[in-house]
Amino acid sequence: MILTLARASLVRHRARTLLAILGVAVSAAMLLDMVMLATGMRVSFGSLLLSQGFQIRLAPKGTLPFDTDATIPDASHVVRTLMARPDVVAVSPVLGAQLHVEHGATSVSAAALGTIAAVQGDYKLLTGHAPTRDDEIVANDALLTALGANVGDTLRVAAGFDPQLRTFTGQRTLRAVGRVHFIYLAAGERALAMPLESLQAIEGASRTDRASLFMVRLRAGANVESARSAIEQTVHTVSAISTETAIQQVEQRLSYFRQLAFILGSVSLAVGFLLVTTLVTVSVNERLGEFAVLRAIGVRRTRILEQIMLEGAVIMIVGAVAGLGLGLVTARYLNSILAAFPGLPEAISFFLFQPRDAWLSLGLLALCGILAGIYPAWRGASLPIGPTLREEAVA
Amino acid sequence: MTDDGLLVSARGLRRDYPMAGEIVHAVRGVSLDVRSGEYVAIVGPSGCGKSTLLNMLGAIDAPSSGTLTIAGNRVNGLSDREATLFRLRHIGFVFQRFYLMPVLTAMENVELPMAEAGLEKAARRSRARELLTYVGLGERFRHRPTELSGGEQQRVAIARALANKPELLLADEPTGELDARTGAEVIGLFDRLNRDGTTLIVVTHDEELASAARRVVHMRDGVIVDEQHR
Amino acid sequence: MTAALSLPLRAAIAFLVAAQSIDSLPPRHSPRSVAIDERLAADYAIRLGDTIVIAATPAAVGDTVVVSALVRRSRDPSEVARGAYRIRVHLDQLQRLVGYGDRVERFAVGTNGPTATDSSLAAIDAAAFGFRAYSSHEIAVESSTTFLVVSRFHRAIGVITIVASAIFLLCIMLLKVDERRRDVAALRLMGISRRTIVRSVVLESALIAVLGSIAGVALGAIVSAFVNWHYQRVYRTPLTFSLVTAQIVAIAVGISLGLGIFAGLLAAQRLVRRPPLSLFGR
Repeated sequence: MILTLARASLVRHRARTLLAILGVAVSAAMLLDMVMLATGMRVSFGSLLLSQGFQIRLAPKGTLPFDTDATIPDASHVVRTLMARPDVVAVSPVLGAQLHVEHGATSVSAAALGTIAAVQGDYKLLTGHAPTRDDEIVANDALLTALGANVGDTLRVAAGFDPQLRTFTGQRTLRAVGRVHFIYLAAGERALAMPLESLQAIEGASRTDRASLFMVRLRAGANVESARSAIEQTVHTVSAISTETAIQQVEQRLSYFRQLAFILGSVSLAVGFLLVTTLVTVSVNERLGEFAVLRAIGVRRTRILEQIMLEGAVIMIVGAVAGLGLGLVTARYLNSILAAFPGLPEAISFFLFQPRDAWLSLGLLALCGILAGIYPAWRGASLPIGPTLREEAVA
Repeated sequence: MTDDGLLVSARGLRRDYPMAGEIVHAVRGVSLDVRSGEYVAIVGPSGCGKSTLLNMLGAIDAPSSGTLTIAGNRVNGLSDREATLFRLRHIGFVFQRFYLMPVLTAMENVELPMAEAGLEKAARRSRARELLTYVGLGERFRHRPTELSGGEQQRVAIARALANKPELLLADEPTGELDARTGAEVIGLFDRLNRDGTTLIVVTHDEELASAARRVVHMRDGVIVDEQHR
Repeated sequence: MTAALSLPLRAAIAFLVAAQSIDSLPPRHSPRSVAIDERLAADYAIRLGDTIVIAATPAAVGDTVVVSALVRRSRDPSEVARGAYRIRVHLDQLQRLVGYGDRVERFAVGTNGPTATDSSLAAIDAAAFGFRAYSSHEIAVESSTTFLVVSRFHRAIGVITIVASAIFLLCIMLLKVDERRRDVAALRLMGISRRTIVRSVVLESALIAVLGSIAGVALGAIVSAFVNWHYQRVYRTPLTFSLVTAQIVAIAVGISLGLGIFAGLLAAQRLVRRPPLSLFGR
């Protein structure tokens, strides 16, 4: 019967009910977006870092990977030292540089990565094969398109310019043997990869046996933090960064978004609370006479409370479900804006949907709805019967 | 009900409440006995305390002092929960303004107290149908209050009041919102109810309704000043 | 006091960026002087006159230098998230330390005006081999990309917030006005015109909107001040993060007033459209 009463009351004021549902939906959408924003970056960045199975990264001491042009000396010695550790399964040294690339009459600059094909974790092969000879490279679509080149074509690369001699330095003629997708690069960034020693040779004496970064893969079950700490103590020229530390450091730099998420999420909850409180208060105030009569004929106070709370719950649930859809749409739009951050890896998502986020939002909203409705509902169900009936009669 | 047939026994009932900074003595020491099967009308000028007295008799309002026993149960001093349960089981209430749930049909309105009392759906449906037929609304089960006339609404309200077979039926100005013809129909219904064994106490200004009662209690300024038996 | 500091190359080029010295001593002959980031000085308790050793790598011998100035970061948004310290070193010393030879990463060129800038750009590009000349404006645009993204994001959030607020406001206004439908019905039955009732409700909404706008502007100003205080502390920068301008206040007040009045008008119109008796539930 209470279900019937609640349903009938909601249907009686259709416009009001629909508007309240819409209000709750908007609140739910914003809340969901903010929950996604608070966790999305961490989760997607963590997934990205672990996507190739490397748990630790070594960068020049005091820096973050590719934050500066600094490099690590004695790269081969570092690799041997690391591989000697029983908990290390693979080490991928990476050298980064900026090269000048020509194909026919077209020339562009591109990021270059020197890697060891067997252990590299920087790119995924789309077509062709990985470069193994010192005259081979692989490139991404952005570079190939900019040059008007294809897999199999010959490209000329140079490391720099000598303005006095007016010539390129470190020139090589290389063949593109594969098309790749670079995992950590921003969308549209032109890039190529070649064997590490080739890039070191192109860059000249300043880059002999040097690397910008080492990626370390540990065996299953190894303690990442212990390994990280031990490596940093053993190899003095590097800062060892675990995935967790890297995430924390990125989060710290982009902490603004988490704080924004918290603030806007709180505001959404507060407004949702206000909306439900107003709705329940108005709805109850209109029906004080009804509630007094119900109590007069023997309906318990708690039953009346149940009815009012049920009406609120229906609005919250329907609104929350509608808000879920709306939230996903707006999250996609907002993510597309933030994806334009320069240098942001394509795979990073600021708004990442996890079912847990939906449950968290729903739970928060439900709690908020209950708290918002409970006081006006209790008040309405607890008014003295006689005086209320009298006042309602006068009204 | 007690062994001597006494259904309602009120002794020295008082009701005081604050209003605009003063204490209003709405009922001032009323004592009243009502036997099972009686039909009592309480009359008096506006503000004499008759509705307040009725509310106390219906356990809607708690007396400031005095004792009240209904159907052998001490009613004064009950907690809100106990009073609500008492009303559900022992009292039927009819109001001047009907106070039906506008969102429910006539049938659902009558079912309401039975649902609260825990009666199963089939049983309460059947009884609701029976009661609505008794009050002359056998064809109007599915109508909502807005689709019923004033008299029909009041008859639904009476059927609702009878839902849980109360020992006592209380009515506060039941014909106050009705025209003379419809009011006469309701008066006739009350008469029939009483002849069928229902104990009735009505508060009224309506002379027709008062004259239909077997016993008329006159109130003035919060006290009973006269009684007449017919 | 001495401290060994390694010099990431990019960090060492800081001396090309304009900065503001907050304190300095006259440079001495030998050792040579450097200017360090005030955060570095604070974090490592380095004072003016202290000697430190600067080297390109931890293992290198390096140069002993004396700290002759402390430098405050400029109000450059691109510096905000960067935690790296900066030191300013004499060009030749830095070139020698990092083995760069007679090389630099960029030149900053001052000209006599926009015309001179354009002609200089063209001349330099024509003569240059292996580098390009950019106007400061072009650099600013390129390095502003991050903040353009953030601005777009803020605008999007702002629009969503306004739309959401409009819905909430409409919802609450409809509820509150609806609550008074019996009063409205009684007035209509008395002979008060629809127009009078609508005007009264709209006037009330406008008043609430005005008061709300004032409160909102005050709250916004307080929050803006707090945001600046907080993020300047967190990022250790003099940059202003949030700015409340007259134009922003005007837009915010305009929108809130407009929304408030519109919501009141809509709610009132809805109410007066119905016959008075139906408002009594008859």
